[in-house]
Amino acid sequence: MGSPCELLCEEESEGGARTIAMLVADEAWRVEDKFSRYLSGNIVGQINTAAGAPVEVDSETARLIEFSQQLHTMSDGRFDITSGVLRQAWTFDGSDRVPNANIVSDILANVGWHNVDWDGAAIRLPAGMEIDFGGVGKEYAVDRAAGLVRERHESPCLVNFGGDLAVTEPPASRPAWQIGIESLQGESEGPERVINLATGALATSGDARRFLQKDGVRFGHIIDPTTGWPVKDAPRSVTVAADTCVQAGMLSTLAMLKGADAEDFLADQGVDFWCLR
Amino acid sequence: MRKRNSKQISATLATATCALLGGTMPVPVQAQEEDTWDFNTSLLYYGEDDDRVEDISLNVIATRNYIDDRFLTLGLSIDSLTGATPSGAITQNVPQTFTRPSGSSTYTVPANALPLDDTFLDTRVALSANWQQPLARLYELNIGASASIEYDYIHFGVNAKLSRDFNNRNTTVSAGLALATDQIKPEGGVPLPLSPMLDVGNVSNRGGDESKEVVDVVFGVTQVVSRNLLMQLNYSFSDSSGYLTDPYRIVSVVDGVSGDTVPRTPTPGLAGPSHIFLFESRPDSRTKHSLYGQAKYYMDGKVLDTSYRYMTDDWDIDSHTIDVRLRWPIGATSYLEPHLRFYSQTHAEFYVTSLVDGAVLPVYASNDYRLGDFDALTAGLKFGWKTGGGNDMSIRLEAYQQRGSIPAGQLIGNQVGLVSYPDLDAIIAQFSYRFGK
Amino acid sequence: MKKGIVIAVLAVVSGCSTMGVEAWDRDILAKDEMQLTSDPLEAAVDDHIYFSKEASSGGRGFGGGGCGCN
Repeated sequence: MGSPCELLCEEESEGGARTIAMLVADEAWRVEDKFSRYLSGNIVGQINTAAGAPVEVDSETARLIEFSQQLHTMSDGRFDITSGVLRQAWTFDGSDRVPNANIVSDILANVGWHNVDWDGAAIRLPAGMEIDFGGVGKEYAVDRAAGLVRERHESPCLVNFGGDLAVTEPPASRPAWQIGIESLQGESEGPERVINLATGALATSGDARRFLQKDGVRFGHIIDPTTGWPVKDAPRSVTVAADTCVQAGMLSTLAMLKGADAEDFLADQGVDFWCLR
Repeated sequence: MRKRNSKQISATLATATCALLGGTMPVPVQAQEEDTWDFNTSLLYYGEDDDRVEDISLNVIATRNYIDDRFLTLGLSIDSLTGATPSGAITQNVPQTFTRPSGSSTYTVPANALPLDDTFLDTRVALSANWQQPLARLYELNIGASASIEYDYIHFGVNAKLSRDFNNRNTTVSAGLALATDQIKPEGGVPLPLSPMLDVGNVSNRGGDESKEVVDVVFGVTQVVSRNLLMQLNYSFSDSSGYLTDPYRIVSVVDGVSGDTVPRTPTPGLAGPSHIFLFESRPDSRTKHSLYGQAKYYMDGKVLDTSYRYMTDDWDIDSHTIDVRLRWPIGATSYLEPHLRFYSQTHAEFYVTSLVDGAVLPVYASNDYRLGDFDALTAGLKFGWKTGGGNDMSIRLEAYQQRGSIPAGQLIGNQVGLVSYPDLDAIIAQFSYRFGK
Repeated sequence: MKKGIVIAVLAVVSGCSTMGVEAWDRDILAKDEMQLTSDPLEAAVDDHIYFSKEASSGGRGFGGGGCGCN
């Protein structure tokens, strides 16, 4: 998952809590093993190394691809799972190493969902293109894990994978789970806000540590797939509350991609959100 | 067109997510930002040298942060004042006796001692409330009220301020108005201006209560200059009308040649003043203009805070104030903050050291040292740290001194060498604790 | 004097339109210690002391006062 994962669980017995924890951990590892771009043998690896040949996928992968396609349309191309190759040009390490514009446009030639052949059962990528479920994978894993816990157990739980989280039930000991949004100054300054979450999910997009700075211009880490460049005037951090972690994550990502209009966009959606600039 | 596309995303996204997750979707989200409290408390000691004023106060500001950038701020301050203050009578090389403001007894000041009056020792309670909220996208409103009560003084006030942001929120322009009405109820009643201090039990020159109204207007501009520099410029206008005199302060009546205060004998059988003293008198209106500029500069973790204020009024008083603070972080959780403040003022046009017996009385006269010519210097150090629980504590110690001079030509005869501006030396010590919930 | 003050303020305001920082450069300005009044309680306490001991008051905000000490 690339970030610390935790489970908060209100459960009477330690044994019961361990069972639920293993359920959540197993699902997290399963999703990661299946969809991580860092593992070469999995379905994503097969799709990315098929060199122009179609690859048949199972129903779960098909659902993820369908979802990504719908998001691509909904976002006018700003959400695009073929944009992962742009990481070859951009390293967000806080330095001032902004890539040469030619390098970016060369790589941009290999980005674009409209070039992908997807017929509902098999996917074919042109040579040089790759897909990357990183933009939705963590949130999907959170919702899957929370769903399994809800199905099989009654204990109120909070599943938190690196700041993307969902709750199964309101806690028994108080009205809601209390979640702090980290202030831009970091953990030592105390939370910027505290949110009482009784049901639902939260997801945060943020660039507090991943950025580049050159000539006084700060580049956030969300790259606009239509241009190959990071978005201008994006908030430093966007947190959205929604029914599921996937919805919250997609809205926070889309908000970041709207740059200066992030707050207006989220206000139009009618969701609770917190933008830090 | 943009709005319609945005609206549709929510519903479409929900449908797409439902298809992705399969099975039943969870219940709708319930998320609520928590309102928080922030408490800022302090204990203050203020003490002047030479048996003059001492003050201990407890201060609390509680702020409730509501969601959507709305704030309620409540303030409470309790002051306990003891000690004495220069009464305005000048030092003599003989003992002097004065009637207390209540008119019921007298007190005597030894020869060569500065006459101090301790009548106003008192406890004061002050309350304030302020509500702040955004009005429209770039507008912010503040409205507030204040009240304070002590045994001889009551204050009520209301205030409002409107601010608007410009230039991508880099510039803020604000305008504020404050109105106050105060009731002055001195012990024994308000004395007739420039009437003599009388024997014990004689309140023939005393009236009832008086009042005073104050209107304050402030215009300000705040500007972000760079990532590290913030500046502010304010213009203030203040108009006071009503009873502006200090009901307890007096002026000595002296011989025009020797400069000695003219003695008197109390009515037989009564106690009373040993010399002739007149109650002071000030104009019934005062208009002040101030210009205030401040800059806060961040350098590598340190913060330099500098400000300058110029004040001028129609009592002929001009003042300059320069204030400099440097916040110096120590490690990750503490800081040291040295502080220097320099203040200088010129005397009010009706400020006199004494009044000459037999000469025509001026309309207004006062020897209140706070209306005189003086320079003041504050030098202090503050040390602050974060507690284990993440709250803020600090202690500060400051020395405040006033050094003044009598305007040329006011000292007469024997007063030279005997009478001088009552220089002030004081210590300020404060402990403060800031915590939130 | 008053005219001079008004002109000075207008000059400052009109010169302000080109200065400033972008939204993402406000990290330092957001810190508690960079607020114009970073300790409102200490400011109020000091304002009260100086109002009682000197002939001037206010400047930063309203005139303060409201006590029998001046």
